[in-house]
Amino acid sequence: MHLEYHRPQTLDEALTLLAREAPFTVPLAGGAFLNARQRPAALPQEDVAVVDLQDLGLEGITPRGNFTDLGATTPLQALVDADLPQALKEAAYLETTYARRFLQTVAGTLVAADGVSLFAAAMMALDARLTLAPDDEVLPLGELYPDRWRHLRGKLMTKVTIPANAKLVLETVAPSRLSRPLLVVAVAQWPSGRTRMVLGGWGEAPHLAMDGPEPTGAEQAARNAAYEAADHRASAEYRREVAVVLARRALASLE
Amino acid sequence: MEITLNVNGKQHAVEVSADTSLLDALRDLGYSSVKRGCNDGTCGACTVLLDGKPVYSCSVLAAQAAGHAIQTVDSLGGQQTGWDFTLDLHPLQEAFVEVGAIQCGFCTPAMVLTAKHLLDKNPDPTEQEVRDALSGVICRCTGYEKPVKAVLLAAARMRGDEEKARRFAAEAMPEVYAVPQVEGYHRVGQPDRKVDALKLVQGKPAFAEDFEMPGMLIAKVLRSPVAHARIKRIDTSKAKALPGVHAVLTWKDIPRVVYSTAGQSDPIPGPLDTFSLDNKVRFVGDRVAFVAAETEEIAEQALQLIEVEYEELPVIIDPEDALKEGAPIIHDEPEYVDFGESDAGKNIAARIRIDIGDVEKGFAEADYIFEGEYEVPRVHQAYSEPHVAITYWDENDRLVVRTSTQVPFHTRRQLAPVLNLPIKKIRVVKPRIGGGFGGKQEVLMEDIPAHLTIATGRPVKYVYTDEEEFTAARPRHHMKIRLKTGVKKDGTITANEMYALSDTGAYGGHALTVVGNTGHKAMALYVGDGEYRKHPNIRFYADTVYTNTVPTGAYRGYGATQGVFSVERHMDKIARALGMDPIAFRLKNALRPGEYHPFSLAWNEGREPSPETIDTNALREAAAKAKEAVKWDEKYNNPEWHKVPGKPHLRRGIGVAMMMQGTSIAKLDMGGAFIKMNEDGSFNMMVGAADLGTGSDTVLAQMAAEVLGVPLEDIIVVSGDTDFTPFDKGAYASSTTYVSGAAATRAAEQVAERIRIRAAAMLNARGDGDEVSPADIVLADRKATAPDGRFVTLREIGFNSIHHENQEQIMGAASFLSQASPPPFGVQIAEVTVDVETGQVWVDALTTVADAGVVINPLTASGQVEGGVNQGLGYGTTEEMPYTPDGQPLVRSFRDYHVPLAPEMPRLKTIFVETFEPSHPFGVKSVAEYPLNGVAPAVANAVYNALGASVDSGPVTPEKVWRASKAKK
Repeated sequence: MHLEYHRPQTLDEALTLLAREAPFTVPLAGGAFLNARQRPAALPQEDVAVVDLQDLGLEGITPRGNFTDLGATTPLQALVDADLPQALKEAAYLETTYARRFLQTVAGTLVAADGVSLFAAAMMALDARLTLAPDDEVLPLGELYPDRWRHLRGKLMTKVTIPANAKLVLETVAPSRLSRPLLVVAVAQWPSGRTRMVLGGWGEAPHLAMDGPEPTGAEQAARNAAYEAADHRASAEYRREVAVVLARRALASLE
Repeated sequence: MEITLNVNGKQHAVEVSADTSLLDALRDLGYSSVKRGCNDGTCGACTVLLDGKPVYSCSVLAAQAAGHAIQTVDSLGGQQTGWDFTLDLHPLQEAFVEVGAIQCGFCTPAMVLTAKHLLDKNPDPTEQEVRDALSGVICRCTGYEKPVKAVLLAAARMRGDEEKARRFAAEAMPEVYAVPQVEGYHRVGQPDRKVDALKLVQGKPAFAEDFEMPGMLIAKVLRSPVAHARIKRIDTSKAKALPGVHAVLTWKDIPRVVYSTAGQSDPIPGPLDTFSLDNKVRFVGDRVAFVAAETEEIAEQALQLIEVEYEELPVIIDPEDALKEGAPIIHDEPEYVDFGESDAGKNIAARIRIDIGDVEKGFAEADYIFEGEYEVPRVHQAYSEPHVAITYWDENDRLVVRTSTQVPFHTRRQLAPVLNLPIKKIRVVKPRIGGGFGGKQEVLMEDIPAHLTIATGRPVKYVYTDEEEFTAARPRHHMKIRLKTGVKKDGTITANEMYALSDTGAYGGHALTVVGNTGHKAMALYVGDGEYRKHPNIRFYADTVYTNTVPTGAYRGYGATQGVFSVERHMDKIARALGMDPIAFRLKNALRPGEYHPFSLAWNEGREPSPETIDTNALREAAAKAKEAVKWDEKYNNPEWHKVPGKPHLRRGIGVAMMMQGTSIAKLDMGGAFIKMNEDGSFNMMVGAADLGTGSDTVLAQMAAEVLGVPLEDIIVVSGDTDFTPFDKGAYASSTTYVSGAAATRAAEQVAERIRIRAAAMLNARGDGDEVSPADIVLADRKATAPDGRFVTLREIGFNSIHHENQEQIMGAASFLSQASPPPFGVQIAEVTVDVETGQVWVDALTTVADAGVVINPLTASGQVEGGVNQGLGYGTTEEMPYTPDGQPLVRSFRDYHVPLAPEMPRLKTIFVETFEPSHPFGVKSVAEYPLNGVAPAVANAVYNALGASVDSGPVTPEKVWRASKAKK
């Protein structure tokens, strides 16, 4: 239940509201999750006050040298429509259906993501950096997930920065094209050879399988990351074995 | 807080809370075109345009929408019925009506709005772009085929591209190979527009929840968090004390009446094992208490204040555990009423033992014995409109129940004892239904608001939540099936044996009849060849058992679905082992015209069986058309076709399944119709049949219009109101076109007879020609015409009969009792691509060829096929409802349950090969159910063809394919 609704006109107003001890106050990025009857496990389950970010101008896609800034309230559909790497567009496209992509924002999707989120896996592979107001603290996405609200309480994500020079490849297995994937392997590779591989498809957040100066050992890393990847949708054995296949394919397509 | 909402250009000042959704605010303002579906941001029925972009209004706060332009479908166009009658539909709305893109219509406003947004930004979209745009609106009726064509058609028309428009309109039509009998028909066989399409495309308040009453209370139900327990203590005092709460009811407060929720004719062919409320809960989601309060929020708070102490009991989740010695007994109540061989003390809700011929002798005569085990999952119908019921006392102190039901007359009869009211004190009204697919062939929840209306005297509305739909409605039975088949070297089946273990969940409403159809429909198709064809050997044993899971019930296919998956997988494996083409093997052993239905002497839905001959069966012709359509012979055994160039990890496969269903329940299903003539030559047709989106109002009207010689617009249909329409058993068992259609035809024939008599009298009174006999009068083009060409219009006859001379009300009333259940037949072929290394399956194409008798309306009939195929695809690939070992459901909402979306649908092809069924005046058989049944086994068989890997349980998931592939190696 929402106890209060606020639509601040400035970032400071928003931060003042979010800094309150009570009631627990959270940003309303687009509304795709907070308004729903069943919030994802990652989001607060108690009654909250919400701060609607729509007037703060946090939307937009801005190239910045070797980086691209994605405004926190940029809808996923804007990524699909933008001139961005195909795999990133695909990750936004496959994350949810058409109407929800107009509502669901970059920040909201990342904060609410579980381990099945294709978009979160892709962004984590890209080593996305979150900028948090008020201090413009920069937080790697991977560090957000173990304890999201410890990082976010009283703060506001304003943008997400991704490298513009890294290649991204996604490999997935799903019961159908738009159903939630059973397994995701997202691999990003920088011109230096640095290679990051993230696995998804189960659990509470995507899993970093590898971050190294070169892709050596990626298949074993994929297998290891899926070692305990069992849930009611697929066994760990299946995910382990198929993760190796997908990792191999991802690396092959990077070559 | 007070905000201003700009809806369709009109400013509305509204008071909302921080929690009020835009959906609630819009519906409170009267915009009932915005439909409440899942209310959880998944189904898309509530889509509106916000600054021109589609959003789910249930997922937007009303406060968020302030300052933005909100657009609902009401703004697009519509029918003005005032002084200046105009019809100014938007081209999208026109196209949806024209190509039959509207079935239940619940999602139609959302689809039209989303399409409008697409065409505003892209006037010439590709089909894939249209499918992507529609991905956010779940439609279970249409398979998306016709909505996609409608959008493309409208776009072409709006661009002025008439050539493409004609092409898209034509693509919405199926191929129909007609019988000669239909050549003289004017309305039968025509793609007439649905009689309810206009109101649905405009989003008019047609559905159960689109109805407000002053003083209406909101009902909520406290549901069990545990799978099996006795209620040791329940304290409602705090809930009752909450301001705004008008009633809190527990098992102590209402009459204890045992009943069945299955919406079936009397006597119910199943055990009576259900109470409105009980002191025991049997599954997570079972009822504990009812609340009626001023608002939804107060009702939910009241639920939190009810204190319950449970004494937990051991839980059964696996149906095999239910039969074990010492298993906990789920139904130990003394009021339990057995039916047939049910035995609550052993957790058996139904038992069937059927032996036809000499099965053991058949096995002994076989060259090979093939055995297999199969398993099919519990799956949900996933209709868009939730269960909704509104109850109130009318001015005559009769209880009115406005409910989204497929069975209004059964609901009235079955509610009466539960409420301790006589039948005559209850009126059930079925408004437009937002899909049901069997899930609303149930007296599932009407008793809840009814008890609360009785307790409070106030109108009460109860709407199932998304979670209630997935945890406490009536999905399809999970089954484990064993098959054993004896076969000679030449492919002749000598004997067939099936054992089905069916999981009815906590209550056994459809326990007997569903599993009965598993054998009756699926096993009966393959009788053997030669002498075995004359004397088939078939054994069908089944046990339906209770478990502590959601009760199961009716779902399109009704047990045949589970049987077809198993039998068709089994047949494919046998054909492969024998080195035979799977189509040829099936046809060698399948029923043929003129043969007895082998089960007809053994079983009839729990009633007295009687012999039935299969008069019409175009299975061979259908198989030939299907083979030709998919180029079967170029693919099935062609190693090159199986390869995907440049992608060695991919393999193509093709698979087939054949289906047989029934058409009504013989000697039981009855429907009535009443038709009266108006002054202007129009007719009111009152039918008890329940159109739940299938188009039955339309096809019944087409049959009446054919007899009366008028266009469809002259037939005004009222259906499904127990006070104003004759009895009809309801929308199930593939019966409406056949049973209710025959009743409508008979009633129309009575009316036509009176019209001819009066027309002859009027013509003869003129004295301007030869004497004409009523028998020579032909009704067509709104005229009654004599052989010499003289005529009187129906309008003249209408005025003459009502006002001018020998006044009478021209009318007819008739009913039809089915004497047979003529089976429709079908062939479905799936083409897939499989990833050998991951097990991922992409379904590329699905072809359906159906013998449905005469097709009354090719658009509605093909719509039934396409919708069934969508559900079959989900059954085959993505849908299942698993439980944890302690009975917690793992699927609790649409978010957890993936149904095929518009971009995921493969290429669909629908072909009808007509036959003329002699037991019906227009030669019809059914089409509603069986197009679902063959898809899943055809997909599994296509995977088998691609990899040689046998997946014998549904759905065909990547891991199952991967494991089967590994096992093969």
